[in-house]
Amino acid sequence: MNVNATFFAELLAFSIFIFITYRYLWPSFSSILDARQEEISKGLEAASQSQRKLEEAEDQSKKMIEDAKSEASTLINQAGTRGDQIVEEAKTQASEEQQKIKTAAEADIEQNVSKAKENLKQEVSALVIAGAAKILEKEVDEKSNKEIIDELIKEL
Amino acid sequence: MAEKDVIDPSNVSDLTPTSDYISHHLTNLTYGWCDKTESWGFAYHQQSLFPESSCKVSEMGFWAFHIDTIFMSSILGVIFFGFFGLVIRAAKKGVPGKLQNFAEFVFEFISNAVSSNFHGSSKIIGPLAFTSCIWILAWNLMDLLPVELTNFAGAAGSGFDYFKVLPTADVNAPLALALVVMFFVTYYTIANHGILGFLKEFINPIELVGYFSKHVALALRLYGNLFAGEMIFILIGIMFGQFLMSFGQTLWFFPGLIMNLAWALFHILIIALQAYIFMMLTIAYINLACAKH
Repeated sequence: MNVNATFFAELLAFSIFIFITYRYLWPSFSSILDARQEEISKGLEAASQSQRKLEEAEDQSKKMIEDAKSEASTLINQAGTRGDQIVEEAKTQASEEQQKIKTAAEADIEQNVSKAKENLKQEVSALVIAGAAKILEKEVDEKSNKEIIDELIKEL
Repeated sequence: MAEKDVIDPSNVSDLTPTSDYISHHLTNLTYGWCDKTESWGFAYHQQSLFPESSCKVSEMGFWAFHIDTIFMSSILGVIFFGFFGLVIRAAKKGVPGKLQNFAEFVFEFISNAVSSNFHGSSKIIGPLAFTSCIWILAWNLMDLLPVELTNFAGAAGSGFDYFKVLPTADVNAPLALALVVMFFVTYYTIANHGILGFLKEFINPIELVGYFSKHVALALRLYGNLFAGEMIFILIGIMFGQFLMSFGQTLWFFPGLIMNLAWALFHILIIALQAYIFMMLTIAYINLACAKH
């Protein structure tokens, strides 16, 4: 342990290195780290902002989906009622048509029946006359008997 | 210093006492003023290289320079501070690289130590803490290099017989650091409390002793720890060197290796811790100087 002039040399060297650090290294590191800090804080802020925007957009999209859903359900309801209505209308129309056809057919049948009755009356009267003539085997005044026969027919 | 400078190679095992080995390892490569020749020159060890009239290291007075300490400390400073300078020069915006990350980690570590322990306002305290911590760490790391190897290589490289690779084990270097710290402590005491406030501290003269011993202790703590660490490496070297010579078994190489390794692993702690302690005490002393009483 001998103290000598090396001390001054070390003193000089230390002073030079402190000066270099003071003048160059320390401020450079400080500015680099400050810039990084600012950058990071900016980035974080931007991230939170975009997060907020994303949340807003999600809310909006949810709302839109709900709107669309409710619209669709109203449309479906409307379509359902309309369909029911159409079916109902068709039913009434069909039954009306059926009624019409039925009455027409009934009228036709009645007409045919009355026609057939008329024909039958005619034929029966002729047959009765012919039968009576044969039974009596004599000339019968057709004119005088006719009234009796008509009355008979009417009774049929 | 041992008196015998010429060693007869025929009976080297008898004539190389351990004290010679130790003092050889603890002697700096010295350039200084020699009273005998009344001129500047290197202190001799090998008689073949220097005339008898030149001085030994112990015969040189105050005006001597430890070339190895100055060279090693300066080159280490250039390497370590150069590293930080290069990192700054190569620093890019955006995502930093691995080296930049490391340099920034070191900077932030020291910056945090300063900001959490220093409550005044000072522009020099950060750079002072940074410089002392990094530089001392750089010095101390030299202690992990094998003592024999560095001594041999340094001696061979310089052409002289002595070369101490560890600047911290030379008391001049820590003392210079402590003096700079003392200068700033004094400066901040006067700046914050005035010249009267500074002088008032020494109303009790014993305070004067405390004032100087505080800073001398700062230097000697660092010096003592690293000197002792170096000493233990040397002692381990002696122990197994002696075994090697007396038994001639190269097997003794392995216990030496293991013990060196064990001490080196433990010593890493001291190396980092002493640099940290020096930095923290520097911050604490300057903080005290700035504190309101």
